[in-house]
Amino acid sequence: MSTEPSPVPDAMTTLTFTTDLSAVRAMVASHARQAGLSAARVIDLVLAVSEVAANTFRHARSAGTLDIWHDADEIVCQITDDGFISDPLVGTRRPAVDAMGGHGLWLVNQVCDRVDLRSDQTGTTIRLHMFLRTS
Amino acid sequence: MWYNKGVDLLTLTVTARESAGQPYTLVIISGEADVTNREDLRTVLDEEVAQRPSTMILDLAGLRFMDSSALHVILQANRALDRQGGMMALVAPQEAVAKMLRLTTADRLVPVFGTVEDAAAG
Repeated sequence: MSTEPSPVPDAMTTLTFTTDLSAVRAMVASHARQAGLSAARVIDLVLAVSEVAANTFRHARSAGTLDIWHDADEIVCQITDDGFISDPLVGTRRPAVDAMGGHGLWLVNQVCDRVDLRSDQTGTTIRLHMFLRTS
Repeated sequence: MWYNKGVDLLTLTVTARESAGQPYTLVIISGEADVTNREDLRTVLDEEVAQRPSTMILDLAGLRFMDSSALHVILQANRALDRQGGMMALVAPQEAVAKMLRLTTADRLVPVFGTVEDAAAG
């Protein structure tokens, strides 16, 4: 049983994307810096969000949505699309370095402090958390 | 023998060079490489691998970002080059690109150098 995700706050930044992953990365970097995340962890978060958005680009049939918010404890990037991930353990096993694909969600799990994934036939929501106090 | 591909996000420039009498192919990859433009990267690398160079150096100094699907394209080119007896080297990755190479351990598969000169000297 997974706990219900905390509600999305009112104050957040939203971007709808299809192919412009560069804009996605720029928005994450800008917001993360403002939130006070360290430079090295900004790089990690940008990498993670870009990998998730790349999955949307490859597998979803419509645009993806990126929502970013933060409080004193953490910054959260939420990516929502209409794709369906059937493997609940996706990204928890390390792929071979030259495996054709499969790195994306594994990388996300390596660099983020917490990853929540919810997927069903109506779509997928992935939340990437970076704790601010440890950075 | 040089050309530029892509005007905005990803720029690829290929030149034929020589170091101590040994020819090598230098590919300068600048901008951002990801799943949306990896086919441009693949086209250029495949064309150069087909020329059967003994050494292919990818200068990453101007590459701000690389995602895992762009890395796969580079690793595929590395494998093709390796099969025909050639060598690939990477040069001067920025922090975000270096992080990707480290996390995937690709930096243990393809040697990374600080400068093109060092890479050409092997």
